[in-house]
Amino acid sequence: MFSIATYFSVQYLVVLLPAAFGLYAVLPQKGRRWVLLGASYAFFWAVSGKLLVYLLFSTLSIHHLGLWMGRLQAGRDQALAAAPKEERKALRARWQRRLTGVVAFGVVLHLGILLTVKYTPFFATNLNHLFQALGLGWQVRIPAFLLPIGISFYTLQGVAYCFDVYRGKIPADGNLLRLALFMSFFPQIMEGPICRYGDTAQRLWEAPPVAWENFLFGAQRILWGMMKKMVVADRLNLFIRQVFWNYAEYDGLVIALAAVAYTLQLYMDFSGTMDLALGSGQLFGVTLPENFRRPFFSRTIGEFWRRWHITLGTWFKDYVFYPVSLARPMKRLTTWGRKHLGPHYGPLLAGSVALFCVWLGNGLWHGAGWHYIFFGMYHFFWILLENLTEPVTLRWARRFHVNREALPYRIFQMVRTGILVCVGELFFRADGLRAGLAMFSKMLTQFSLATVKDGTIFTLGMDKRDCLVVALVVLVMLVVGVLQERGHGIRQNLARRSLAAQFAAGYALILSIVILGAYGVGYAPVDPIYAQF
Amino acid sequence: MERLIEILEEIQPGVDYRHCQDLVDGHHLESLSILALVAELEDAFDILIPTVEIIPRNFNSAQALWEMIQRLQEEG
Amino acid sequence: MTKGKRALALLAFFGGLLGILLGLSALFQPKNNMSEFGMEEVSANGILGERRDSVDLLVLGDSEAYSSVSPMELWRDRGYTGYVCGTSSQTLDYTLELLTRALEDQRPRVVLLETNAIYRLVPAQKLVFTPLASRLSVFRYHDRWKSLGWNDLLGETRFTWTDDWKGYRYYATVSGTAPGDYMLPTDAQEEIPLRNRHLVEEIARRCQEAGAAFALFSAPSPVNWSTPRHNGIQALAQEMGWDYLDLNLLPDQVPIDWSRDTRDKGDHLNHAGAVKVTAYLGDWLADNASLPDHRGDINYARWDDALKKYEGVVQSG
Repeated sequence: MFSIATYFSVQYLVVLLPAAFGLYAVLPQKGRRWVLLGASYAFFWAVSGKLLVYLLFSTLSIHHLGLWMGRLQAGRDQALAAAPKEERKALRARWQRRLTGVVAFGVVLHLGILLTVKYTPFFATNLNHLFQALGLGWQVRIPAFLLPIGISFYTLQGVAYCFDVYRGKIPADGNLLRLALFMSFFPQIMEGPICRYGDTAQRLWEAPPVAWENFLFGAQRILWGMMKKMVVADRLNLFIRQVFWNYAEYDGLVIALAAVAYTLQLYMDFSGTMDLALGSGQLFGVTLPENFRRPFFSRTIGEFWRRWHITLGTWFKDYVFYPVSLARPMKRLTTWGRKHLGPHYGPLLAGSVALFCVWLGNGLWHGAGWHYIFFGMYHFFWILLENLTEPVTLRWARRFHVNREALPYRIFQMVRTGILVCVGELFFRADGLRAGLAMFSKMLTQFSLATVKDGTIFTLGMDKRDCLVVALVVLVMLVVGVLQERGHGIRQNLARRSLAAQFAAGYALILSIVILGAYGVGYAPVDPIYAQF
Repeated sequence: MERLIEILEEIQPGVDYRHCQDLVDGHHLESLSILALVAELEDAFDILIPTVEIIPRNFNSAQALWEMIQRLQEEG
Repeated sequence: MTKGKRALALLAFFGGLLGILLGLSALFQPKNNMSEFGMEEVSANGILGERRDSVDLLVLGDSEAYSSVSPMELWRDRGYTGYVCGTSSQTLDYTLELLTRALEDQRPRVVLLETNAIYRLVPAQKLVFTPLASRLSVFRYHDRWKSLGWNDLLGETRFTWTDDWKGYRYYATVSGTAPGDYMLPTDAQEEIPLRNRHLVEEIARRCQEAGAAFALFSAPSPVNWSTPRHNGIQALAQEMGWDYLDLNLLPDQVPIDWSRDTRDKGDHLNHAGAVKVTAYLGDWLADNASLPDHRGDINYARWDDALKKYEGVVQSG
């Protein structure tokens, strides 16, 4: 059986992707879109087998819901055009209620499926704890569901599609195949980015012909992603597994380093996978939305989340934050707040309520577990605090003549943000909330430099050479990151250089993967972290 | 239009609203400012801004905002 | 750039890449077959240090192979020279790799494959990776960047180390079990994964090309073996015309006492069990293959040295 567990596998990189690309390159447009659809369903089948029915059901039902809303909207417009002006308001409201009913049904249905397969065990377990605490003799059976891959991602895409049709932002799509391709496009179905129908569906359906530059840039981006994942993320795994499994044996410094290492690993793994996804998309001439924008240059936690997993952030902003904060009672609250609390704190009331919903959702989206909820609340707390203290910081900065745009201050902010993020990821990775708290308290109370002084730090899975490799790659990425922050396109610049320089860059990238990659005997690559969400 | 610029200045000072074309994409207007802006605009121009209008295209420049306001006023 | 130029550039790029990888493979190749030089699985790869054309019997397989066949027993009793290329959890891609390496210098007359590995699904990754790594060894030994020295750049490759145990791994510990009759008759057949089957056929083809008789054998193991598995292998052997010995079905010739002859409750045999299996294989080889008796041949003096060490350990254990 042909099965796939990760994008970083021979099956994907050597078999499926090249085969799909080869076919795509030789076929005419009509055939090309079938190649994309066929490859997408083949990929899903290779990962999840029969669970493909979940995707089929979601695609069919979302297609149907879209058309249903489309018919209602057409009916409404007709009725409105025919009706005299004074009746229009009531008429509009009546149709609107029906539309709202349909979209609510669709959202409840699809989020319901997601909640059921993902969270039933979590809720059942906690229910049992509750019964036990209450002294009741009840116990619910804890059912286990097999999770189809990408359900957290394609469900969000489908729900966004429903909302967008409902809001009239996009017309309902009558073409089932176009919608199916949008829902299932194989480079992004497993770990995102979360796409919007309005951004990618039509482009995918057009299936543009292959172009040399797309091929070159796509391939480069795939290699870049492989380097991040195979050289750094998989190598760090040796150290991270050791410390997180046996955290009780290590002191605060080791745990702090493990938290930093894990944050780095998460970034390299996830953004590397995104490079691979976007690079794969680019091979086919499709531009998928960016999911990362050099998050470690962020000056605040709020900014961090506008640079890290961007498509999830904007999804929550568009479909949770604004709907909640701009609901009628919230608007009244904002107006009231502005009168009584001033222009800064006024909107913060409604904003915090909406932010709370966003971060509860964000935490839960990552998984069924209290530590994920804690992770969400942790970031909610810091973002709220940033907003609350903003006017105070401004005043202090003015009084003490601190230039907030000067480099030292910016670096101070970046480091502070980085530390807060690392602490958050410590809880994220820890085996449950209790372990997370224990590790965190060790970081504060048992801090010692002993392991560095006697060199034992290099015996915990990564020796000096391993650390050197990681440091080297981080340095390269730092340089690339600064260049990108200044608006340079690395691949575009490279393409203008001589052929020799382009060859050298290609060889350097490939050989660093071949030689420094953490694969083969002695290494266990980290499982695709975001595919579990 | 003048009234709109005044409102913007009040909510988030220090931006050249007459010329800036990327208020949202350039992160000059953060989500909280947008909340305040929406509430304020609804009051000032007696309109209702539905969630579907909260998209960068409508908020990226003062001109775009103004066009949205006029459109919503006509629709009533 | 025009289309033609682009094609040319791509060709040049990949040509250059291949050249670099070949160069790096020469650099990364372990220069000796000891673990200090970066060689993997040294007890199986010890065969690379054996004198040219000196090994007449080759045994391939996973831990069942290296736990149940002791070549030194064959040497002492019959003067046969055998070697076990066995590794833990061996998959057939690596079996083929070991066979290919062994056949470079050796002309065995008989090759025996232990059948447990035939049921271990070869991961799809390895189907591509192992053949690639055997041609471009930088993929297998890339991690040696940590320990490269001048010798890797300038020295030649010389495999000098040999294993006195000839690939057999000695365990004297006893952890018995009472398996009962685990080979109950049934018509059920466990299916051999398709890709595994192709690999077994390839292994047999290589043996045939090298002039070696190819046969299968199943070491006694209640944990790993069963009648459906036997039936699956039996059908394959019959179809391909290979000899097949299932020692699980020969309680009279191979009288394993499961309370004493296993080291881990029936998963693997211990030394006492291996002696019984090897004795039976010796009989079978005597009847079915004409392996020469090399005892007394001055060229094989090192086998006598190895036997002395072997006996020293085995008798004191």
